[in-house]
Amino acid sequence: MLGLAASRKTGWKLAVRPDEELITEILNGQTAAFSELATRHRPRVERLCQRFFSDPEVARDLAQECFIRAYTALPSYRREMPFGGWLRAIVTNLCYDELRRRRRRPEELIADFSAPEMQWIGLVNEATPEDIVGAAEERREAHDLAHRLLETLRPEDRTVLTLKDSEGLSVSEVAETMGWSVAKVKIRAFRARQALRKQAERMTASGRGRSQ
Amino acid sequence: MMNCFEVRQEFAAFWRRELAPEQRSALVAHLKGCAKCDHAFRTFAMSAPVLHSAAEPPQRAAAERPVAKDSRARRPATVARGDYEPRRRGYAMSAAAMILVAASLAAYFSVTAPVGSLTDELSGTQEPAVQLFGSDLTPTSEDLAS
Repeated sequence: MLGLAASRKTGWKLAVRPDEELITEILNGQTAAFSELATRHRPRVERLCQRFFSDPEVARDLAQECFIRAYTALPSYRREMPFGGWLRAIVTNLCYDELRRRRRRPEELIADFSAPEMQWIGLVNEATPEDIVGAAEERREAHDLAHRLLETLRPEDRTVLTLKDSEGLSVSEVAETMGWSVAKVKIRAFRARQALRKQAERMTASGRGRSQ
Repeated sequence: MMNCFEVRQEFAAFWRRELAPEQRSALVAHLKGCAKCDHAFRTFAMSAPVLHSAAEPPQRAAAERPVAKDSRARRPATVARGDYEPRRRGYAMSAAAMILVAASLAAYFSVTAPVGSLTDELSGTQEPAVQLFGSDLTPTSEDLAS
């Protein structure tokens, strides 16, 4: 109660203990502190998993697996890097392994569009840019189709794009996260954008062809 | 006035509604007048809901079809035979390779073993090979001694 009152009085920042403090407690045997650490980072971890997998259940499972791995590997955590970055490396590598496990072929991309998916492709072909942006936020099929498009990429290409575009990491940060060379990240990013453009054009052309 | 390069650099910010109103208007005006950038934006829009969206993905309505956990459910009929799953193909190829290696080893030993056995017999390190191969033609140590 005292802590709560103090935090209300002095601002929320005092109530939030740094990650390092919680990690020290966990390593000293106070495992309950891990729950606080996990609660703090769970939204970001789940969001990153959702960038890789459209199925919310798969994303949740992977997030859960990430925290199990983090807990197990916590003694090897080096404090010179932020805990969030360390956790991101774990979740990205988990998602990357899962992508490699369940990779689909590009020819599956233009297989069977549902009616809402066809509507979304039609909207992308015809509507104004501002209408497209507005509609994308409300339409689940826009999200699902984007996942289908990204699923045609090689796992490493998709990982690079996700880390660069969604997480806003630099090339060297992506390289550090994945344990790859900077040159590899640059090449993969370039090829990923090329492949993505090509597949997106196929998808929109297919939508145009079917609507005519 | 924005040029094509500047416009394409701002696609992500436009998608996330992070541009100032005047930048937004300039970008939209450019897209209206530039067919190439307009095409590039529409291509960008296909992956942007996942790669560039700041918001949570919208929830799926109950009436909509569920996203299959198994990607096979979405396969077209031409590739839905279920026989090209990379993992299964890997297992099949491993099994075939193992069978091939086992057959090669069996063939190799069936040819070389009698010679090796005879050598061992001559040197006295092994029992006569007649029991192993069951052939009356294989010389025994008594035969060789006489």
